[in-house]
Formats: sequence, C-alpha cells, structure tokens
Amino acid sequence: MTRLEATRIVAAFAGDAAVVASLGHPAYDLFAAGDRPRNFYTWGSMGLASSIGLGLALAQPALRVIVLDGDGSLLMNLGSLATIGLLQPPNLTVIVMDNEEYGTTGGQATPTAKGADLAAAARAMRIETAVTVRTEDELIARLNASGNAGLSAERPTIIVAKVIESRPTVKPPNDCVAMKVRFMAALGCPEC
Amino acid sequence: MTHWSAGVCDGVYAAGVRDVVYVPDNPLSHVLARFERSFRDVSLILAMREEEAFGIAAGLYLGGRRPAVMLQSSGLGNSINALATLVVPYRIPMLIVVSMRGDEGEWNSAQVPMGRAVPGILAAIGVVSDTIDACQTVSDGVRHQQIVSDTVRGTALSSFETKIPRACLLPKRLTAP
Repeated sequence: MTRLEATRIVAAFAGDAAVVASLGHPAYDLFAAGDRPRNFYTWGSMGLASSIGLGLALAQPALRVIVLDGDGSLLMNLGSLATIGLLQPPNLTVIVMDNEEYGTTGGQATPTAKGADLAAAARAMRIETAVTVRTEDELIARLNASGNAGLSAERPTIIVAKVIESRPTVKPPNDCVAMKVRFMAALGCPEC
Repeated sequence: MTHWSAGVCDGVYAAGVRDVVYVPDNPLSHVLARFERSFRDVSLILAMREEEAFGIAAGLYLGGRRPAVMLQSSGLGNSINALATLVVPYRIPMLIVVSMRGDEGEWNSAQVPMGRAVPGILAAIGVVSDTIDACQTVSDGVRHQQIVSDTVRGTALSSFETKIPRACLLPKRLTAP
C-alpha cells in the first residue's frame, strides 16, 4: 500500500476526529485525501506531530485525536513514546507512515529500512497496543479494533503502517494562523 | 513564609493557566512542589525534552487550554526549532517560564554561553521576554512574592491576549537558595 492509499483509509475512518499531520509528505497526503477544518497541517517542527496530538488529546478528553507521523519524524522525537506511555491518553491514535526513508528530503533511508522496529519501541515504552501493519486490510482491521470511531478505547493506540512512498502532487495552504483559527473553531474552542 | 516560588505559582494560576508542561530543573522544583501541594487543579505534565514540551503545549492551546512551559535556560537551546517553526508562525500563545543559568552567581562555565544568549535568541525569533527584577524583589519578603506574581501573571496575560508567545525569565539571583 502506498502512503496516500493508507492516508485515504485513515481519512475515511476519521469521522469527527481531529487529525494532526507531520510536515511534508504526510501533511500533503492528508490534504490530498480530503481537506477538512479538523485537519491540522504542520509546516515545520519535525518530530512534534505526536506531541501536538498528545497535548490536544489531554485538553479534549472527549475528542478522538489521530496523528499522521512519519518514521523519520518519530525517530527525531522518540521521547514522545515515553511520554505517551506515561500518560496513556485513551483518545490518542498515532499512525506512523513508515516508508523507511526521509521521503520529503530526497529518499534517504531511515533506520527502519534496516529493521529498526518502531512498534517494538512503542511497546517498550508501555504503549502495549502498538503493532505494525503491512496491508490495507490489516490497517482497516487495526483501526476498527482501536475503538477510534466510538471512543471506546481505554489506551492509546500506535499503528506503524509500512507504506510505499507515493510522491505527493498537492500541498495544503500554508497560512499557519488561518489554519489554526479554522482548526480551533471546528473543535468548538474558538480563539477569543 | 514567603518564597519566590509562591509568587510564580500565584501568577501562573491568576492568569488562568491550569496546564504546566515542564522539564525538571532545580529551582523550578520549588514551583512544581508548591503546585502539587496547594494547586491540585493544575496538571503537571513531564516532557522528556524541551522541544517536546512546546509541542505538547501547542496541542493544549489548540484544544482550548492556556498552557505554560517551564524549563531551564540551557533547555531553551533544545527548543528553538519548536518555537521558530511552530509556536511563533502559528501564533500559539503560551507562558514560558525560564529558570536562568549563566547569569550573575553562576559557577558552571558550561551554563554561561546559552544563559547569556537567551534574551537575544528569544528576541530574534519573535518571542517577547520579561525579566523579574531581582534587585526589587530580594529586599522585602512580602513585596517580593507580589512582584514575582504580578510579573508572571502580566507576562502570561499579555501572551494570551496578543496571541504571541511570551517568556518570563527568573534570574539566578532570584532563585538561588
């Protein structure tokens, strides 16, 4: 499955969830899969998508929060796994689009290309649900099992999706402030 | 008994902040302990690294909260990208409480370069900073706590009202035992 195909599956599943996308290709694919006010595209701060999602999940316990991360990005902020494992926010789902390369910067291989296992790292940090999926059917099954749609999950979810780089062709708007304002209004906490 | 840390807690709380994301620091331990003891509705959220703390705080703000980040000046060096590519361009307000090292009274030479660079770096990336006036605060215990509280509260309220992240620097002369 390509990253865009995987992203389309997540987007179709998202419902009312907030979706936070890591900069570069994960954000571009989220936009290509369908722009919506509850999407938050980062344009910088590589590595921090899962941290932003964590803060949002803590602020809004009744909101399902989905993070679209990358393998290179998560590797830049592995400590985030320890923090998520410590706090165990049940409404947080982190999907790591693991294409085994730094896709946005020219395709340099990441350590996952040599077998570094991000799901195992997450489990080691007490995120016990962390699994790796390799097909669309596995991703769909895992999303369904995570209780995302109904907020029935009791623990945070991490899904490492092995994907093929899909070379995005579109980008979301890059007016950061306008996007923030739109996102917060959609979540029911408009800036005053 | 008055203590500068009580002033910090009072100021943070008076500005409506109920979420404090932090990376541990020795002087700030007094603030954190006081929050745990006397402000039970304030969430203390440990981050593994300072840039992560800014990411978590940004998420809290997007979810309608008024966050604070507390860290040592050395850790601000770990935070520049998070500030310059997320917090500042998205105009995500937050109170940033910086426990200073490297200023007057420092004994560790490794703390000096970053400590003295903090105000300049913050200004260069668009984060306003206020410094608590230790000269005013040390002489009189009660006034001392009030001045600290007023400064912290003022920094925080300015941030949330202007949507510009803003830092309050706690000089070593204030926080030294």
